[in-house]
Amino acid sequence: MQQSQNENQAVEIIPENFSETISDSVFKKFFLEVSSLTIFTLRFFQELFKPPYEFNEIIKQSFLIGYKSLPLVAITGFIIGLVLTIQSRPTLAKFGAESWLPAMVAVSIIREIGPVITALIFAGKVGSGIGAELASMNVTEQIDAMQVSDTNPFKYLVVTRVLSATLMLPVLVIFADGVGLLGSFVAVNIKGNVSAYLFFSQIFQSMEYKDLFPAVIKTFFFGFAIGLIGSYKGYNSNKGTEGVGKAANSAVVFASLMVFVIDMIAVQITSLLQN
Amino acid sequence: MTANVNSIEIKNASEQNGYVVEMKHLKKSFGNNPVLRDINLVINKGENLVILGQSGTGKSVLIKCIVGLSDLDEGKLIIFGKNVSDLTNKEQIEIRKKIGFLFQSGALYDSMTVRENLEFPIRRQLRSTPKEKINSMVLEALKNVGLAEAIDKTPSELSGGMRKRLGLARTLILKPEIMLYDEPTTGLDPITSREINNLILDVQKKYNTSSIIITHDIDCARMTANRIIVIKNGVCAAEGSYSDLQHSTDPWIKSFFE
Repeated sequence: MQQSQNENQAVEIIPENFSETISDSVFKKFFLEVSSLTIFTLRFFQELFKPPYEFNEIIKQSFLIGYKSLPLVAITGFIIGLVLTIQSRPTLAKFGAESWLPAMVAVSIIREIGPVITALIFAGKVGSGIGAELASMNVTEQIDAMQVSDTNPFKYLVVTRVLSATLMLPVLVIFADGVGLLGSFVAVNIKGNVSAYLFFSQIFQSMEYKDLFPAVIKTFFFGFAIGLIGSYKGYNSNKGTEGVGKAANSAVVFASLMVFVIDMIAVQITSLLQN
Repeated sequence: MTANVNSIEIKNASEQNGYVVEMKHLKKSFGNNPVLRDINLVINKGENLVILGQSGTGKSVLIKCIVGLSDLDEGKLIIFGKNVSDLTNKEQIEIRKKIGFLFQSGALYDSMTVRENLEFPIRRQLRSTPKEKINSMVLEALKNVGLAEAIDKTPSELSGGMRKRLGLARTLILKPEIMLYDEPTTGLDPITSREINNLILDVQKKYNTSSIIITHDIDCARMTANRIIVIKNGVCAAEGSYSDLQHSTDPWIKSFFE
């Protein structure tokens, strides 16, 4: 009886069209966000080819985004190579295929784990950094001040950061792959004695161009998505301190999600082309 | 420095070949919320015009429209005798190069040093300026606001008053003919506020700039204004000198000065 009364009260409090209103607003918000991001992307390409070109700022951002991320990427790559080798060894040993370890780890790192893990680390460090930086510039009117100083803030802030992220991530991924293989070599030598020459010649024998190129090409798209989403979230943030946190957070979440979506598409395209 | 605004001679507009800025029936809304309903005002050459009004009455929006940070819905904005809406994008940029804007927060670039903050507008607007010339312009601007010793510091190492003064130096480095101040003394102690007010008067005397000063600070209005306009419900509700408005019979206007 009591429960039935509570249910009736709840029905009275919640409006009849509550679920419709919620789903309407969620869909509306989603499509508004998609259209806004599309316009932002189109504006990026429009501004990209229009002079003046901000070469100095691109170099500065490439240094900040690329060079400053090297230690983090190196540590992550080394640990991935080390752990993957240690974890894979017992399974391969069961089938007597321990000699395949360097080749298997190399293919895993270069084709998939290296690009995806580096991109996720990059999204966490660079994507959130760009989001927070642009959002705080928005809050403190620095973007307006640039406009008043006869500077196109979109070109100066967004185009340079997106371009730097697109160009730097592939370099970081190649670096992380190399350090990852070094980690694997260390792991192999923990329980055995394999020379560097033998280890790396096995890797190069097992690798083909089709392993390397699609993996590197997709990292350009990862970098572009991370830079673009970080910039989009920061540039369009709410004018308040809360907006800075939200921009940084949503930049990481959305960019990480996009990395997986792009990876899935890239894998499909690669397998289609290889067939 | 004593603030004797009456000693600054304001010439009649007709003697000055027209007004520096003229606004006719300016309207601006945000969604369904009309902020500026019908603004009509003029600014004379060399004059400090203070705009008073409650929060949310569109005072900042008004000066953002002048500098192109916000678009107008309706009305005419005439700067140096030219209707802004009739000008090409390039011509609008050229006109706006003559306008300086001091933001409420100072809007200093956090990632740059004091020197780089001052060099930025020169490098963007006077692209072919030699390095030595840029250096001397930076040093002169910093000396004018008493911040020469802070040249290699970052904005985060400066106090609120110093940040405001640096913002002013950055705005003045290109010697604008019109200065727009958005709440220049907000968040500052009375002594620092007085320093900023004196700087505003110095700028007016030294460069003969015309200024619009948006403020809630009645001391700032008293010290700097040649003329005051009060905005209420998106229209200019009252206009006059400080003493005129102080002795207004309208209780709402009088309440600003109590």
